[in-house]
Amino acid sequence: MHRYIFRRLLLLIPVMMGVTFIIFTMMYFTPGDPARIMLGETAPEADVIRLREELGLDDPFLIQFGRYVKNAVIHQDIGRSYTSNRPVVGEITTRFPATLKLAALGVLVSVAIGIPTGIISATKQYSIFDNVAMVLALIGVSMPNFWQGLMTMLVFSVYLGWFPSSGFSTPMHWVLPAVTIGTASCAIVTRMTRSSMLEVIRQDYIRTARAKGQVESKIINQHALKNALIPVITVVGLQFGYLLGGAILTETIFAIPGVGRLMVEAVLRRDLPIVMGGVLFIAVTFSIVNLCVDILYAFVDPRIKSQYK
Amino acid sequence: MSNVKTASQNPQSQVASNGTKKKRGPWREVWRRMKKNKAAMVGLLIILILILSAIFADVIAPYGYDEQSLVDRLQTPNSKHLLGTDNFGRDIFSRIIYGSRISLQVGFIAVGIAAILGGTLGAIAGYYGGKLDNVIMRCIDILLAIPGILLAIAIVATLGPGLRNVMIAVGIGSIPSYARIVRASVLSLRDQEFIEAARAVGANDFRIITKHIIPNSMAPIIVQATLGVANAILSAAGLSFLGLGIQPPTPEWGAMLSNARHYLRDYPHIATFPGLAIMITIFGLNLLGDGLRDALDPRLKS
Amino acid sequence: MFKNKKLLVLLSMVLVFALFAVGCSQPADDTATPGTDDTNEPADEVTVKEELIVGQGADAVTLDPHSTNDQPSSRVSKQIYETLVAQNENMEIEPSLAESWESIDDTTVEFKLKQGVKFHNGEELKASDVKFTILRALDSSHIGHIVGQIDGEKIEVIDDYTIRLSTKEPFAPLLAHLAHTAMAIMNEKAVTEGGEDYGQNPVGTGPFKFNNWVIGDSIELVKFDEYHGEPAKLKKVTFRNIAENTTRTIELETGGIDIAYDIPPTDVSRVEENSDLVLQRAPSFSTSYIGFNAQKKPYDDVRVRQAINYAIDMASIIEAVYQGVGAPAKGPLGPNVFAGHQGLEEYGFNVEKAKELMADAGYADGFDTTIWTNENQQRMDIAEIVQNQLKAININTEVKVMEWGAYLEGTAAGEHDMFILGWVTVTGDPDYGLYALFHSSQFGTGGNRTFWSNDRVDELLDAARVETDPSKREEYYLEAQEIIRDEAPWVFTWIGENLAGVQKNVKGFTQHPAGHHSLHGVYFE
Repeated sequence: MHRYIFRRLLLLIPVMMGVTFIIFTMMYFTPGDPARIMLGETAPEADVIRLREELGLDDPFLIQFGRYVKNAVIHQDIGRSYTSNRPVVGEITTRFPATLKLAALGVLVSVAIGIPTGIISATKQYSIFDNVAMVLALIGVSMPNFWQGLMTMLVFSVYLGWFPSSGFSTPMHWVLPAVTIGTASCAIVTRMTRSSMLEVIRQDYIRTARAKGQVESKIINQHALKNALIPVITVVGLQFGYLLGGAILTETIFAIPGVGRLMVEAVLRRDLPIVMGGVLFIAVTFSIVNLCVDILYAFVDPRIKSQYK
Repeated sequence: MSNVKTASQNPQSQVASNGTKKKRGPWREVWRRMKKNKAAMVGLLIILILILSAIFADVIAPYGYDEQSLVDRLQTPNSKHLLGTDNFGRDIFSRIIYGSRISLQVGFIAVGIAAILGGTLGAIAGYYGGKLDNVIMRCIDILLAIPGILLAIAIVATLGPGLRNVMIAVGIGSIPSYARIVRASVLSLRDQEFIEAARAVGANDFRIITKHIIPNSMAPIIVQATLGVANAILSAAGLSFLGLGIQPPTPEWGAMLSNARHYLRDYPHIATFPGLAIMITIFGLNLLGDGLRDALDPRLKS
Repeated sequence: MFKNKKLLVLLSMVLVFALFAVGCSQPADDTATPGTDDTNEPADEVTVKEELIVGQGADAVTLDPHSTNDQPSSRVSKQIYETLVAQNENMEIEPSLAESWESIDDTTVEFKLKQGVKFHNGEELKASDVKFTILRALDSSHIGHIVGQIDGEKIEVIDDYTIRLSTKEPFAPLLAHLAHTAMAIMNEKAVTEGGEDYGQNPVGTGPFKFNNWVIGDSIELVKFDEYHGEPAKLKKVTFRNIAENTTRTIELETGGIDIAYDIPPTDVSRVEENSDLVLQRAPSFSTSYIGFNAQKKPYDDVRVRQAINYAIDMASIIEAVYQGVGAPAKGPLGPNVFAGHQGLEEYGFNVEKAKELMADAGYADGFDTTIWTNENQQRMDIAEIVQNQLKAININTEVKVMEWGAYLEGTAAGEHDMFILGWVTVTGDPDYGLYALFHSSQFGTGGNRTFWSNDRVDELLDAARVETDPSKREEYYLEAQEIIRDEAPWVFTWIGENLAGVQKNVKGFTQHPAGHHSLHGVYFE
């Protein structure tokens, strides 16, 4: 198991190298001059040229890329933002907690509501509860989440005044963004739990258990649930990663100072160091979350564990 | 449709996908099961209506999608304008009808890009295994490690805005899921008897992959694709919301929604209808996707 | 429900992880909560609010005025720093850190500094700080151009409170440029000590000093007790970053913020009709225009440019897009800019005339063209309406919405046909509002993205720049504007207005036409 984790962590290195290369290349070839964007349309060309020199933007691609990798690997320095001149690491770490919290709250909402609903739906397939839950879940995945965010803000903040409309400072501020970001995941988790549960229930060993005359609730809790939740774990893990990246829209609507918004702004401003730093940060987090999911996987399913050597 | 043929010409595939004894094509069997599923039929109906309105948009829509009348701006629904007008006095109903063209186009082409590229990569990785598999899957991991919407934003920034580039961006972003699905089903098929039989009679790899493996791993791809169309439409709408992507006056629903958010509180109907259009479309696609999954995987049917 | 142990463990792990993630970000939030410390105040005292929260559309980039030239930053910097001279809301030059000044000759001005001015770090303001600041500004690639006319080698410190500045050649708008927020006087010691991180630890002489910055979220300033002028009435000012326009208005309506900058036109009536709020309208220096690429066919023909001016119904555009905010533009300068020509004849909406001109130019059947814009909502709206209205004279337009960076690059390279852009005459001086936009030396990146030029206009702009007699300058500028109007390198579009939504109990807030409003005199009732 330890060797497996170690190997996975080792595998992160080429993946991160690949991510670095792809994003760097894309940003490099994106039209739009960061120096010109920073200085605005009113600045004279001479100033733009000077700034380009200061930032080393005129160097050929490979030299710029090499410099970036060298600084990152040897000096553990991923640079300063072109725009604000603040160190990238600081810029991201001050914003990351908000995004992490948002994603975590989203997962919390989806797990807390999704799993129980899914289980009940599966055990009472085609009941009214099941039908209503499934229709709601479908609506949940079908709603564009920025639209939902605006609508909930409109109703609960403007009309009813129950929650603040923007910011992320107190638990009251968390509610609307958490619901907005969590709805789709919640629906996905519900559906996944249900279908995975249904699949398990039909398997032979459950039939055997039933044939042996075991109580239905015991069958569900002791036998079915454990196996049914394995794919759900994957989904929750994937959702967490997805929410980390997908927080952008929610952050925009609710004015949450997270990494997502920072990144969009950075892409638009061609602030390469921030884009690189942010993507790497999210990518590493995402990969580690995935690794954790796989480990949990082994934890609940000994068959898989035996494969990790 | 060509899948139907290839699949039925190939007796082994029937054994692989289900165990029917009758001489009936497996796809017809799927259809028979689908017909019994009311929800799936509702989904299919929604999608059919959507496709029809896309085809006959010129006939159905009472106004042109870019026909402005500044005097009639921001009207609530009335007899002249079924769903009201937007901030340029354009008929929202007409725009939604024309918008179905754009959404379907975005959905299907983006998914097409993703399924073809992802599927090919996945099939190669799964079939040959070993080093090639490793390299391809690491590349997929790299793609997967970059958050989808961010990748899409970066691609749109690099290529420039517009319908075509949005489709490419959304498509590339969803390559990994197809690659993984196809690889998984290829892995499960690779060592089965009918593949070995094909190999034994001297079929080359290309033929084995295209004639035997792909048709037999169609089920999960179709399900994923149906849901993928939904995702692609949502992603494109999200890009439009951030102000990147499709060019005005193109009546893309997401762009309509994004524009309507400025009028949300005083004229909620401008945002409501495109939002509903997206929701219903995706609802339909999801119903259909679920139905297909159930129908393609008979074990789940009680 | 869950009798299965492993499952229980698993689920609790998920929850613990989630809670951990939520919890570990807690400390950052305390600082982000504005106004939490007023709970300590005695309850019996009837307290007037002394903490102001302002919402604007973006976070400041840096508070080092030499490292940026963006509006959100200068709106914050304005409270922290002061300039040698200041421009009030009517754009009159007033003493600020300089008590008085006099011209020594055509190119040299002597400034007498106010004595006893303290920086936030306790240092006293000396002429050496002024010299240091100006030299540093000249060296800045961000704002160097604003003081570019000053000769760095000829800055002369006479004594601790006297300094002489010289320009390379006579430069009439010098004082207006010195009043620019980018010319904030900084403390040499603080800047040197701050090094690369000075932008996060700014030190100025203004009524508020910097306290805390939650990056991306909010900046907190507190009253500076040793301020040399009348002390600020507020104890604390917080600038919050709320990017979505609608959200900012909602936040104002729900009382989360006291002042919201840049109320979008669509929300004007909401704020106006809300009895708890006041909508403050004030003329601004911003203009919008639709430019032609005058070196490209068919826009090299003045008749085509004029025809399009006639074919666009600007009044209805202003109504539909800006909901009556601002005013239609008659020429390139607004009425509040010095020498802004208000006697210019408007083109007006006249499709017949447009058709005639098109026919004269040989384009009776029209042509295909594109109109570029960036993803600014109002500009995109204008583009869509223009596209529609130009159909009447058979011009088939394609709207191209571009992302800001690509847009600037494309228009500077002359790849465009028509484009929509804005300009802010920050200094209120016509030199700033005309030179970059219409002088032939400024083609492309310089600011003249229409690539239109006229020898007479070049001459006039050059002459006015070095002319020190205001009435002669005015004459030159008026003539230039008339030529520009007739030659129509632009469709003159819109003159902006600053809109701020303010809670009713906020008093003493006035808007500056350049957009960086001072909060010095603001108080609560």
